[in-house]
Amino acid sequence: MVPMTDQIDLLVIGGGITGQCAALAAAEHGACVRIVDFKRNAGSHANAGSLHVQMQSRFLRLNPHLADNLESSLPLYLEAVAAWEALDRKLGGVELTREGGLMLADSPEQMTFLRQKAEREAKKGLSVDILDRDALPKIAPYLGSTIMGAEICHDEGKLNPLIANRKLEARLTELGVEHVYDRIIGFDMTTSNPIAKGTIDHSADQIVIAAAWGSGALANELGLAIKTPPEPLHMNITEAGDYRIHHLIQHAERPITLKQFRSGQVVIGGGWSAQAGEGDGIPTILSQSLLGNVALAATIAPGIGGLRLLRTWAGYNTPVDGKATIGPTLLHPRLHLALPGDAGYTLGPVVGQCAAALAMGFDPLTDPTPYAVSRWT
Amino acid sequence: MSKLRFTFDGHDRTAAPDLSVAAALTECGTQAFRRTDSDAQRGIFCGMGVCQDCLVAIDGVPNQRACMTPLRDGMQIETQIARPKLTAPPAQKKAAKRLTPAVLVIGGGAGGLNAAIAAREEGADVLLLDERKVPGGQYFKQSASPDATPLDPQQADGKALLRAALDAGVQIQSQTEVWGAFDGPEIMASDPECVYAIRPRALIVATGAYERPAMIPGWTLPGVMTVGAAQTLWRSYRTLSGRRIALFGNGPLTAQVALELANGGAEIVLLGEAASSPWKRTQAATRMLRSDPRLTIKGIRMLAELRRQGVSLRHMTKPTKIEQTDSGLWVSYEVHGRTKQVEADAVCLNFGFQPQNEILRLLGTKMRFDSRYDQLRPERSEMMETSVHGVFAVGDCCGLGGAPAAAVEGRIAGRAAAGSKVTHTKEQSELSSHRAFQDALWQVYAATPVQLETVTPDTIVCRCEEITKRVLDDAMGNGHTDIGAVKRATRVGMGRCQGRYCGPALAGYMARRLDLDVQDLSFFAPRIPIKPVDIGTLVAAENLLDQDGSDD
Repeated sequence: MVPMTDQIDLLVIGGGITGQCAALAAAEHGACVRIVDFKRNAGSHANAGSLHVQMQSRFLRLNPHLADNLESSLPLYLEAVAAWEALDRKLGGVELTREGGLMLADSPEQMTFLRQKAEREAKKGLSVDILDRDALPKIAPYLGSTIMGAEICHDEGKLNPLIANRKLEARLTELGVEHVYDRIIGFDMTTSNPIAKGTIDHSADQIVIAAAWGSGALANELGLAIKTPPEPLHMNITEAGDYRIHHLIQHAERPITLKQFRSGQVVIGGGWSAQAGEGDGIPTILSQSLLGNVALAATIAPGIGGLRLLRTWAGYNTPVDGKATIGPTLLHPRLHLALPGDAGYTLGPVVGQCAAALAMGFDPLTDPTPYAVSRWT
Repeated sequence: MSKLRFTFDGHDRTAAPDLSVAAALTECGTQAFRRTDSDAQRGIFCGMGVCQDCLVAIDGVPNQRACMTPLRDGMQIETQIARPKLTAPPAQKKAAKRLTPAVLVIGGGAGGLNAAIAAREEGADVLLLDERKVPGGQYFKQSASPDATPLDPQQADGKALLRAALDAGVQIQSQTEVWGAFDGPEIMASDPECVYAIRPRALIVATGAYERPAMIPGWTLPGVMTVGAAQTLWRSYRTLSGRRIALFGNGPLTAQVALELANGGAEIVLLGEAASSPWKRTQAATRMLRSDPRLTIKGIRMLAELRRQGVSLRHMTKPTKIEQTDSGLWVSYEVHGRTKQVEADAVCLNFGFQPQNEILRLLGTKMRFDSRYDQLRPERSEMMETSVHGVFAVGDCCGLGGAPAAAVEGRIAGRAAAGSKVTHTKEQSELSSHRAFQDALWQVYAATPVQLETVTPDTIVCRCEEITKRVLDDAMGNGHTDIGAVKRATRVGMGRCQGRYCGPALAGYMARRLDLDVQDLSFFAPRIPIKPVDIGTLVAAENLLDQDGSDD
């Protein structure tokens, strides 16, 4: 451990996947890094490990006006999965598999929607195919009889976030990254080095804000009108069964993600709402989300019906505008944003690495220009 | 009565009627019911639906608790494998009902039955839910056979109380498990045929407690169970957990059960009590006698009867390790600091009680930590109302108090929940004397608890996920200071029992290591479902949403 010091090259605000990956990239380039984290309702700690690539029907349905943002971000999603694969190797395995994601349809209209979507996604470089009913029993025998077909996105996959978070934390400790518990409420830009103000002052050469739903308030301090309201989402997990569900399962019209961890447990989510916590309190679950979400899962995949539900929980997604924001803030070029803009766990490694790269002057994994902060001014 | 026929792993078996699957398998000499991910064997542990370790597959459907499932003729029972196949279960269309009783009582023990009767006497319509086939709770522990003659006055009193509740017009739903508690309060529960969403005007939580084990190497082996599990096998099913039984514990229950099992024909190879002899604590013993002469004399008679049966009660005795051998379970224990060993077919452990406060915590009732009993207790008014309006709590789910106190608390809460403003000063004074008795009793039985500090690193702490103390120590060494972070880092508490055994032990261990006070937040966050619930039940419950149009 590096002792508490003022000689910090990079201060990362937020200890979730994005902030950790920013810290990892900087530390690997020899920087002295401190993560300062509020330790409240980190989205990464509630995440269930889907690696999203294809456009989520849920996002399109809820935010039709942001569809272009999402579509233009698809290349970033491809980079994100590649970044996750590199991280999987680096950390010695986080149960990452890329066996593809199925988006299911049970009506001709939904099939048409998926065909059109697949065409658009193929143009952005995604590896997608349309599967008819006959192709499904062989690869997904647990599916229900109402399913007419699916779009398969071969780029998609899943990982075990519990393992990833634990191993990433251990790796950061090895690299001497300091982890401090504090809540940053503002900045002091009048000194030679910028200062992030919490219960103590954190001075650093460069600062990356990777605070998910907490980023909006900090961006506002810097004169940026970015809104980052948290979206409390519901999740479910069953007891373990034989490992048979290899794909990440979604639906063309209904809100669901369903996958199976290597532990055999089936995780069911997909954007059902939860109740935001009061103040800094943890979000709580709603009975209608529990019942609706699980009943939908049982309809789509009757094969999970012999398992019992073990646990539910709620966590915060931070959708912003469906597009990442990466890079220096215009007025204060030593303060940087690292905001995935939705699907934060998937995008975290690439967004964090790119933000750290711009801050510290090494090569970003992908060209972050399309995601520059300038669109917020 | 003719015997029931069933198969276990393909072998034909027979058993008496009115047994649980767990009792029937025990009668047939089977102790191991399932295999874990690491291929370890497990069997009956809690005997009361909490630990989820006695799972078997019945007629092709996995994940059935043997202790809570009545045996039926023709059942095909199989050892449950760690990862059952993903096959859709036979279509079972459960009915779904919305219920709106004036008073809902959860738990049919001493507290719940008395609460239900009192509320009914005030004219309220009362619904009482209980998990077992025959209510009565852990103290009154009823026979599963309707024709059985009560074993003793304790069981007879329970039978009479249950009869009184039915006669008073309490609607009793047995075999009904509560798995959801939402603001309102709205309670979600299910029985084998139906799922219920219940919105009562007033709720009385009387869910009792479960037992704390000693977390020592071997505490997860088949044949090692709680004292209460062995007692349930005997009192409810007339089944002995083994021919040779060793019991270790702290408090009068262990001795009582040793005597019951000895009277039932078991050979008690050892009865170990962690506390020193009560004769060495004359002041507390005198206070016990003063606050409840009848119960104290009953206790003294029990000890005398044990001696007559030839059972030697060893004080200052604690188990340290249990190993499986070809001929049984080989238990190492310490007595007055010396290590000795004994062989038994079943080993029973009871080192205190853990309140079943999941519903209260989910509903957000204010809790405070009672360091003497090492338990959370809800803040309650004199009328037993918690900090959440309309939610009452009685008995051992509020921290240890004993059955007599639970009964009085039940009567007070029952009347108040039904809207009566009448108070009886006699009840408050009864309650004081029951509490004084408990206080003196646990001074007599004061002993150093079996804590994680004293066990070896390779001891399993989380039975479900098979997490050892070493793994937890490593996580804490990495700077994790809250129990949620340790859970995410290690999977401790993520299994089927939902952290009921490891959670309280770890909460105390972490607080002592970090020199912090234990509080509500020291424990795992309460989660729904309260008990694992099958997906078919949730699908049936979804129909309730369509009924009232609240589904968006």
